Amino acid sequence: MRYKYLVIVLPVLIFLSFSAGAQAVVKKTTDQLGRSIVVPDNPQRIVSLAPSITEIIYDLGQEHRLAGVTRFSDFPAEAAKLPKVGSFVRLDLERIVALKPDLCIAVKDGNPRAVVERLESLQVPVYVVNPKDLDSMMEAVIEIGALLNAGKKAKSLVQNMRLRIQRVEFLVAKASNRPRVFYQIGISPIVSAGPDTFIHELISLAGGKNLSQGPARYPRFSREQVLILSPEVFIITSMAKGEVFESVKKEWSRWPAIPAVRNQRIFLVDSNLFDRPTPRLLDGLELLARLIHPELFKEEQ
Amino acid sequence: MNHKTPFVIKRIVAVSLLLLLLLLITMFIGISMGSTGSGLKAVLQSLSGEKGADSMLDTIVWQIRFPRVLLAALVGATLSLGGLVFQALLRNPLAEPYILGISGGSAIGAIIGILAGLSRFPGVSFTAFLGSIATLVLLLIMSSGQSILKKNTLLLSGVMVNAFCSAIIMFLVSMTQNAKLHNIIFWLMGDLSMSDIGQVGILAATLLPCFIILFLYSHSMNLLLMGNEMAQTMGVNIRRVTTILLVTTSFMVSSTVCHCGLLGFVGLVMPHLLRLILGPDHRVLVPACILSGGAYMVICDLLARLLPQQGEMPAGVITAMIGAPLFMYLLKRSKR
Repeated sequence: MRYKYLVIVLPVLIFLSFSAGAQAVVKKTTDQLGRSIVVPDNPQRIVSLAPSITEIIYDLGQEHRLAGVTRFSDFPAEAAKLPKVGSFVRLDLERIVALKPDLCIAVKDGNPRAVVERLESLQVPVYVVNPKDLDSMMEAVIEIGALLNAGKKAKSLVQNMRLRIQRVEFLVAKASNRPRVFYQIGISPIVSAGPDTFIHELISLAGGKNLSQGPARYPRFSREQVLILSPEVFIITSMAKGEVFESVKKEWSRWPAIPAVRNQRIFLVDSNLFDRPTPRLLDGLELLARLIHPELFKEEQ
Repeated sequence: MNHKTPFVIKRIVAVSLLLLLLLLITMFIGISMGSTGSGLKAVLQSLSGEKGADSMLDTIVWQIRFPRVLLAALVGATLSLGGLVFQALLRNPLAEPYILGISGGSAIGAIIGILAGLSRFPGVSFTAFLGSIATLVLLLIMSSGQSILKKNTLLLSGVMVNAFCSAIIMFLVSMTQNAKLHNIIFWLMGDLSMSDIGQVGILAATLLPCFIILFLYSHSMNLLLMGNEMAQTMGVNIRRVTTILLVTTSFMVSSTVCHCGLLGFVGLVMPHLLRLILGPDHRVLVPACILSGGAYMVICDLLARLLPQQGEMPAGVITAMIGAPLFMYLLKRSKR
């Protein structure tokens, strides 16, 4: 009789242990696009398909899991030493596959959908995040944290970010006015950032009024349109570095009718703080608040 | 007359076999090289039926490089054949789908299709075809009334059609906020990188019947080259044959354009080289063009993949760098 039991129980036990083992290796999850995918429980070879993803993985202290990054993954500096898989809009499928990733993390805006689909057809799971604003960026940090078993670290990062936002909001609430800000991304043609961009959100949070009001996300401007808008603060991103910035600044200086020119409030900022959906957006926010409302920060010091 | 036909067939078979071998060799090189180095061993292992130890290399070779090389071969074959047909029909050695603006017209159609949210097949393929037909009609209207033999009128019409097409393309690209057009500039320069085997299969299924049609009409092309009157007395329905050839060619070209954008000057290189070696018989030239055009494009694509240190360049850059100087040379020579 005993042996008969064993005959039934043993296979069941073996089956259970196998299925339990299988569950420990992979897990089912839903990415930020709502697609349900199967990912490894403890991914060891991650290919990050955008500079922002790479930064978040470093912020979470999980860089040992990274097998590859994209060409402009330059923050922190050591990320640039990892193997490259093309730029994030022009991914090199062959290089990605050659790194034998057990997970790829992609962003919805920028990564071509065709690459994501091809990777999945090659049995590489792809988790897509979709950060559209500060809130969804923080959500993405939480989700990547959960993927990499670094949920605790992710939570404390987000908590810290929320505190920093509150602090800026608290300071800006004391401001008497909302200066008109023109944020210039492109030099020729003149391109700014409209609604539905991080830049717009950050300018508003930092107590400024973004002069470019869409409808396009990245509208183009003629020089006379900018003059009519008469910005009080001019911010130029570092996609135009050094000399280019000086020449652009000189160009605008020909029109002292612009309040920003009259009061010498033309600033150069690092674009990576404003267009990469990473915790560094908070650095961008604090920098903007200082540039737009220097008076508030003087009092504080 | 009767005893000559077998000789032609023999010649067709011999030339085709030789060029088929060339095509297979280039395809073999094409799938064994890439941005992650050489997979020569994996290719040989897979071909000999041996189960390769490295499944990743297997994936790279067969699921990434192989569809791409196949696509390159199909596109090269189509564009070379397109060049051959246009050169015969328009009796102009410089005619070529890209130079005449047929490719540009297809691109406009394809972009409109993409903007309208159509699927690649059959939606975008259809709008691209309409675009190519529209430019073809425009071209024929512009150069009709005058003798079609006048080389420069036709070329000039083509240049203008092309300029107009690129203006419309830039217009569409500037007007839209559509994120789908992010990669459009690359696509316009001729991009083979995003090919999967399903799409290549569909393309092959649409192109192969066209190849056969053109081969069946290759003797008519010979007769047409002897002059309209001559062809008519030999029993060729000129209007019908011309229409069938032009429409078939435009259809082929437009289907390749919506898969991999604009690859310029491909239709010049192989037809000219082959005519130089094989003579003017289109019954030999059509299959020869298909096979060697494929080989040519596979090599161009390979160069586009291997030359840049990081990433890759559009294959159209390579084809234009080889083809445009040849065009200038041919133009200079034809003036004499």
